Amino acid sequence: MSLFQDPFDAKSELAACPCGKHHSLSEHDAAVAAWQHEAQLRTAADEEKRLTNAVDQAVVRALLPNDATRRRVLHAIGAGTLLAAIEQFFPLGHAREAFAQSGKIEKTDLKVGFIPITCATPIIMAHPMGFYSKHSLNVEVIKTAGWAVVRDKALNKEYDAAHMLSPMPLAITTGTGSNPIPYTMPAVENINGQAITLAMKHKDKRDPKSWKGFKFAVPFDYSMHNYLLRYYLAEHGIDPDTDVQIRSVPPPEMVANLRADNIDGFLAPDPVNQRAVYDGVGFIHILSKEIWDGHPCCAFAASQEFVTTMPNTYQALLKAIIEATAYATKPENRKQIAEAIAPANYLNQPVTVVEQVLTGTFADGLGKVQKVPDRIDFAPFPWHSFAVWILTQMKRWGQLKGDVDYKKVAEQVFLATDAAKLMKEVGLAPPTSTYSSFKVMGKTFDPAKPKEYIDSFAIKRI
Amino acid sequence: MTQPFIAMQDLARRFPAPDGGSTTVFEQFWLGIERGEFVCIIGHSGCGKTTVLNILAGLDQSSAGAILMEGKPVDGPSLDRAVVFQSHALMPWMSVEENVAFAVSSRWPKLKHAEALKHAHKYIAMVGLAGAEKKKPAQLSGGMKQRVGIARALSIEPKMLLMDEPFSALDALTRGTLQDEVLRIRAGSDLTVFMITHDVDEAILLADRIVLMTNGPNARVAEVLVNTLPKDRQRETLHEQPDYYPIRNHLLDFLVRRSKNFVPPAGYDPRKPPHVTAGKAGGIVDAAD
Amino acid sequence: MKMSFRLRAAVLSVALLVAMLATWQVATMGSGTAADMDPEYAKLMGLTATQGKSAMPGPLDVGKILWKHLADPFYVKGPNDQGIGIQLAYSIGRVALGFFLAVIVAVPLGFLIGLSPLFRQALDPFIQVMRPVSPLAWMPLALYTIKDSGISSIFVIFICSVWPMLTNTAFAVANVRKEWLNVARTLEVSTLRRIFRVILPAAAPTILTGMRISISIAWLVIVAAEMLVGGTGIGYFVWNEWNNLSIANVINAILFIGVIGMALDQLLGWVTRLVTYPE
Repeated sequence: MSLFQDPFDAKSELAACPCGKHHSLSEHDAAVAAWQHEAQLRTAADEEKRLTNAVDQAVVRALLPNDATRRRVLHAIGAGTLLAAIEQFFPLGHAREAFAQSGKIEKTDLKVGFIPITCATPIIMAHPMGFYSKHSLNVEVIKTAGWAVVRDKALNKEYDAAHMLSPMPLAITTGTGSNPIPYTMPAVENINGQAITLAMKHKDKRDPKSWKGFKFAVPFDYSMHNYLLRYYLAEHGIDPDTDVQIRSVPPPEMVANLRADNIDGFLAPDPVNQRAVYDGVGFIHILSKEIWDGHPCCAFAASQEFVTTMPNTYQALLKAIIEATAYATKPENRKQIAEAIAPANYLNQPVTVVEQVLTGTFADGLGKVQKVPDRIDFAPFPWHSFAVWILTQMKRWGQLKGDVDYKKVAEQVFLATDAAKLMKEVGLAPPTSTYSSFKVMGKTFDPAKPKEYIDSFAIKRI
Repeated sequence: MTQPFIAMQDLARRFPAPDGGSTTVFEQFWLGIERGEFVCIIGHSGCGKTTVLNILAGLDQSSAGAILMEGKPVDGPSLDRAVVFQSHALMPWMSVEENVAFAVSSRWPKLKHAEALKHAHKYIAMVGLAGAEKKKPAQLSGGMKQRVGIARALSIEPKMLLMDEPFSALDALTRGTLQDEVLRIRAGSDLTVFMITHDVDEAILLADRIVLMTNGPNARVAEVLVNTLPKDRQRETLHEQPDYYPIRNHLLDFLVRRSKNFVPPAGYDPRKPPHVTAGKAGGIVDAAD
Repeated sequence: MKMSFRLRAAVLSVALLVAMLATWQVATMGSGTAADMDPEYAKLMGLTATQGKSAMPGPLDVGKILWKHLADPFYVKGPNDQGIGIQLAYSIGRVALGFFLAVIVAVPLGFLIGLSPLFRQALDPFIQVMRPVSPLAWMPLALYTIKDSGISSIFVIFICSVWPMLTNTAFAVANVRKEWLNVARTLEVSTLRRIFRVILPAAAPTILTGMRISISIAWLVIVAAEMLVGGTGIGYFVWNEWNNLSIANVINAILFIGVIGMALDQLLGWVTRLVTYPE
C-alpha cells in the first residue's frame, strides 16, 4: 500500500500510521480501503489524473526513498520546485504520458510467462479480472514448468515479460548461471508469502539446531527462498552447505517428495506450503515474514530491449500490473482473487488452498487455525536496497565470484532510476538514495555497507 | 584373320594374397566367339569361370588382357550383353511384368510405361508365362522365376546372352523343360550365348563348343570341345546319337581326371587352345579362328 | 478350436483386468476414519487429511475423470487449460513434425553413408558419439541456440528420431543384395533410377523398421520434453496435473499416452507391412 501513500505530504509521520493522517494503523487501513473503493468508481479522466500523480510520486520516491530525507527536502524547497527541478533532467511529462498510455501501443498481443504460485497473483489475476484488457492489451498468461524455463523463454523472447524470482534478473544481468544479458525488473510482485514447511514426523523438532542432516528443498538456486533458508539456518548455527542438504526442486515436486520422505522440509512459495498441509503431509514451521518482514519474493521482469523498443506497451503492461497489485493489497478482494486464479488455467489448485494463502486464515498443519492477514502482501516498488541485499547473499554463498559493484548492478536492474546522478545534477546534497535499511532476523542491514555486512557473518563461503 | 564377334585376349584375374604376393585364379585366357554361337564353359569350382563371365558382362574387371566385342573394347556393363543370373535375381517387390518392363524401359527410356508393359508381355509369353504377369516372384516356383529371368534378359533384345549356371538350382525335370525352352527360343534367332554349367548333358544339348578349364588356381583353357552332334538335336533323343557317349565320356574324363593335373600337350599355345572332337571323328581339329 | 482359444485368452485378459481393478479399488479405499479435529480447522483441510482417504485415487475416481475427458476432449479455457484431445493433438503434431524432418535428413544421409564407404568411415565416429546421448540432454542447447521452446521440442524429437532411421537406412542400403545391383548395372540404369527403383524398395523394410523404432522413442521423449518446457501437449498436461497433485489425471494421461503410442506403432507397423516383400 505504500505506493499510494503521498510522499509530498511533509506532515506525514513515521509512526504507526504510515501516512500520518490517522491515529492508528487500522484507521489508516480503513481509510485507504475506502479511498481505493472510491477510486474505482472515478471516471476515466480522474483516473488519468491520479495516475499522473502516481508517476510523480514514484519518481520522487525513487529519488528520495528515505522518508526523513524526502520530508526534509520537501520542507526546504516545496513539492512544485522539486518536481520542476526533476523535470529538467527526467522526462517526467514523457513518463506521465507513457504511463497514462496516450502513446500508441506498439504491440497489443503479449505473452507473459508465470509459474503457478501465489506470488504471481498480480500477473495472473490481471488476466481473468480484466486489468490487461482495460489497457487495450491482449495478454496471454502462459504457465511455465520451472524457473530455468521461464528464464530461457524470456531470454528467447518467447515471452515479452515474465514472472521471475527477484534474484533472477540480477543473476541474468551478472551472468550468473547464464550468459550476461541486460535484464530489468520494473516491479516487485509480492512481499512475504513464503514459509518453511516440515514433514509431519518432525513436528516435535521445532528448534533448527536439531535439524542437522535434514534435506531441504528450495525452488531455485537464485531465489529468495534459498537465501532466506540459508540465512535462517546460519543464524541458528547450522551451516547450510555442510550440516544440511539444500536442493533445487520445482515446486510441484516438493509435496510429492515430502510425502515420499525424500526431503525433510522446504522453504517454498505458496500454495505449496498450504497444499502440504491440506494433504496432511506437512506443517508450517514458520512463515517467511518471521525471518524478514517485508522481504521481496517474486518480480515482474522484462528485457531491457523490450523496455526501450516498446515503451508504450511496456508502460501499459506495467500499469496494468501495478493496478492489479494495488487491487490485490486489499484484504476484502482476496477471496474473489482466490476464486479467479485457482482454476486449471492458472494455479490449478483447490480454491480453499489458495484462499487460505491469500486471506491469511489458514490451517497450520498442527491442528490450529492461524490468522495472519499479512501472510502475503503485494507491493510493487523495487528498492535498490533489496537488490543489494540479494547480491550480498549471492556473494556470501559463493554464487557471485570476484568483486561486485553492488550499487551499479542494483541500479541497472531494479528500475527505480539512477538516483545519485539525478540528485547531483539538480544540485542537491548527495542522497541517501533509493536505499533503505531493514532488519532480517533482528540484524540491521545497511545497504551502504554490503562488504561489512557479509564480513559480519560467521558462516559464509568466502 | 578376321576378328571374331567376341575376342577374349590374355585375360587373367589375380587377388592380393595374405602373404603380400598375389594369387592367380586364371591366366592366359584366350577365346573367340562367333556371332550366333552357343558356347558353354565347364570346369570345377574355383577355376574362375564365373569371373570370366562377369568380366564379359562388365561387372568385374580383369587384372590383365582385354575383351573386344565387334572390335570395340568391353569396359563396363552394356545393354548389348544381357545376363541371366544363377539365382534369377528378380526384384521381389516388383511383379513379373514390372521386372521385365523395368529392363525394357532401361533399354528404351523414352518408351511409355504402357508400351514397355506390352513389350514385356511379349517376352513373358515367349517363356510360357502368359497369365502370370501380375504375380510377384514369391508366388512363382523356382523354374518360373528363372523363366522370368530369361524373359527379362531377352526383352532388351541383346546381341549376346550371358548365363551363369541358370538352371543349377532347379530340379531335374524343370531343368529339362527350361533347356528345351532355351533351344526353342534360340532356334529362330542368331543370338550369341555364353553359358556356364556344371551339367555335362546340358552342355552337350545346348552348346556348339564347350570350353574346358583346368582347376584353379592358375586355371587356363585346356581345350575346346567341338560339339559334333546334329544342330536339331532333341533332349529326348540326345542319348540315341552315336557321338553322344564319346563326347560325354570325354567331358567326364576331363572333369574327373585331366582337369586336376593338366599337362599342356606339345605345341600347346594358350592363344589358340586346341580344338578337339570326340567320337568317330575324334581328334584334334583346327582352332576356330 | 482356434476361436475358442482366442475366446479363452480374452476371458483371461478380462479376468486379470477385473482382478487388478478390484485390488486397486480395495487398496485405495483408505481407513475411512475421520481424524479428530476442530470442525473449523477441518474445513481448511483436504479429504486425505480429514477422512484418511488414500492419496492414491481408486479406479472409480480415475474412471470418472476419464469419462469427463472423453465427454469433452476439445474444450479451450485459456492457454493453460485445454481439453485432452487438444493436448494430444499438440503432442502428435510435434512428434509428426520432428519425425518428418528426421525422415528428410536421415534417409538421404543414410543413403549417402550406405552408398559411400568413404562417408561411412568418416561419419561413423560422429554417429557413434551422438547416438547414445539422451535426447533431452539436447534441450538446454536447443533452447539456447534456437531460442524457441516449441521448435526446440521439435528439434529434440528430430534428434532422437534421426539415429535409428539413419543407422537402419545406412545398413539397409549398404546391404542391398549384390545381384539386384548387378541387374541394374547390366541394364545400364542411371544412378537416380537405381536409387529409387532398386535400392529404396530393397531397403524400405529395414528403413521402416528404423522409423518404427524412431516413432516409439519420439513418443516417449515428447512427454518428457513437454514436461520440461510446458505450454501445451500431453506432457504439459501431466506436469500441470502433477502440480495439482491430481494423480487420477496423471493416470488418465498415462492411459492416453499408452493408447496413442500403441496407435503410432501400429500405424508404422502397417506401413512396414506395405513395403515388405516376401522372397
